[in-house]
Amino acid sequence: MKFLLYLLLALVVVPLQTTLLHYGGLFGIRPDLGLVAACLVGFLGGELDGLILGLLLGCFQDMLSAGDLWINVVTKGGSGFLAGLAGRHMAHITPAVMTAGLAIISCLSSAVFLYSMNPAGLDEVWLGVRSTVLVQAGLDAAVGGGLFLLFRQRWSGDRMVTEGAL
Amino acid sequence: MAISRSTYGTRRLAIVLFACLLVALFLLPSQSQRLLQYVGGPLGQVLSLPLAAFSSLDHGLADMWNGYVALQGVHEENRQLHRDIELLKGQNNQLRESLTAVQRYEALLNFKQQLPSQTLAAQVIGRDATNWYRGMILNKGENDGVRTEMGVITPAGVVGRVVKTNSTSSVVLLVTDPNNAIAGVVQRTRDEGIVEGTSHGRARLKYIPLLSRVQAGDRVVTSGLTGTFPRGLAIGSLIQVEKSEGDLFQSAEIEPEVDLSKLDEVLIITAPFEDADAAQKLLQAIHGDRKKP
Repeated sequence: MKFLLYLLLALVVVPLQTTLLHYGGLFGIRPDLGLVAACLVGFLGGELDGLILGLLLGCFQDMLSAGDLWINVVTKGGSGFLAGLAGRHMAHITPAVMTAGLAIISCLSSAVFLYSMNPAGLDEVWLGVRSTVLVQAGLDAAVGGGLFLLFRQRWSGDRMVTEGAL
Repeated sequence: MAISRSTYGTRRLAIVLFACLLVALFLLPSQSQRLLQYVGGPLGQVLSLPLAAFSSLDHGLADMWNGYVALQGVHEENRQLHRDIELLKGQNNQLRESLTAVQRYEALLNFKQQLPSQTLAAQVIGRDATNWYRGMILNKGENDGVRTEMGVITPAGVVGRVVKTNSTSSVVLLVTDPNNAIAGVVQRTRDEGIVEGTSHGRARLKYIPLLSRVQAGDRVVTSGLTGTFPRGLAIGSLIQVEKSEGDLFQSAEIEPEVDLSKLDEVLIITAPFEDADAAQKLLQAIHGDRKKP
């Protein structure tokens, strides 16, 4: 059941990312809703939930991206898993923790993308960090923190134990 | 007694004067009219003052009646009119949008008819799912005959090439993406090079010979050496030529001809060089001739 829910979520998030989200970009950079969703579910639902949703989202995103077919699967799945691991070791997840965690995971995910682009030198790496990595991390953190605040009352700060439910 | 006699005389005088006036009116109509006009001028002026006052009062009353008392249905009528205006505005916008779409389609169709290549029209339905690639998603896929490495153009020039396809959609890597490479030629000097995207959202013509006299403003077109694009499609204009000491080649920054951020419809080149059926027939004819003794 939860798998179907995640499938449905992925089928909503990825088209939203590719069609309407360019209206909400900053300096031409859009928040990565797939990463935010995988991390939120990972933080709150556990590493397995984050991993499964991340893999689904990554698979769909790879189909609609010009990049290699593995890169979104790996980064989104890894991000969800990492968020789940981080969430498991925290007693209370606050909006500040969520925002900082999302920013860090977004930076790590972007680093994989940057590495896959084979930058010619340090100048290009720095340009990528400055123009894309940091802006996207800020946007991801802001969107994730906002969504967490919105849904915090519903989830009441307790981690959902879902591994068995899957 | 004297008073009654005087009143009697005055009445008789008045009757006689009235009778004279009637006779004068009947016997001398034009002269009497002139006389009456002469006499009526000052009288009319005197009369105009109360007339104006009553008239303004009448207008005031009418305005009050029409503006306040008789306005019971106007509020609802006003709301209805506002609704009608909003509806008409919406319809007007839709018509304007339809008109611009028709104009775009017309331009695309004209261009398609002029092209020697076989093309397929497609709509842009989305942008790349990540921020790391400059790509866009088209609504035509393998079911429509779209394959990877096919070129994508507009009447203005080159857009990019198809890098991924599925049954109903395809992903195009834009000419401004650093991972893209297209064979180009400077139109004026005929120097060839490779056009690659840059990190700044433009393109760069690389491997221009050192002795080439290319300059800013020169137009770059496709060379037709690779199978993706036919010869002569506009890629962009050179905006800055860079020649470093010790380098074997020059390079130049290109401003793409197509505004890639505002694309709605594109053409996918399904057979780049000429009509595929005609080419097939020609090949068959050549092979047939060779087989003859």
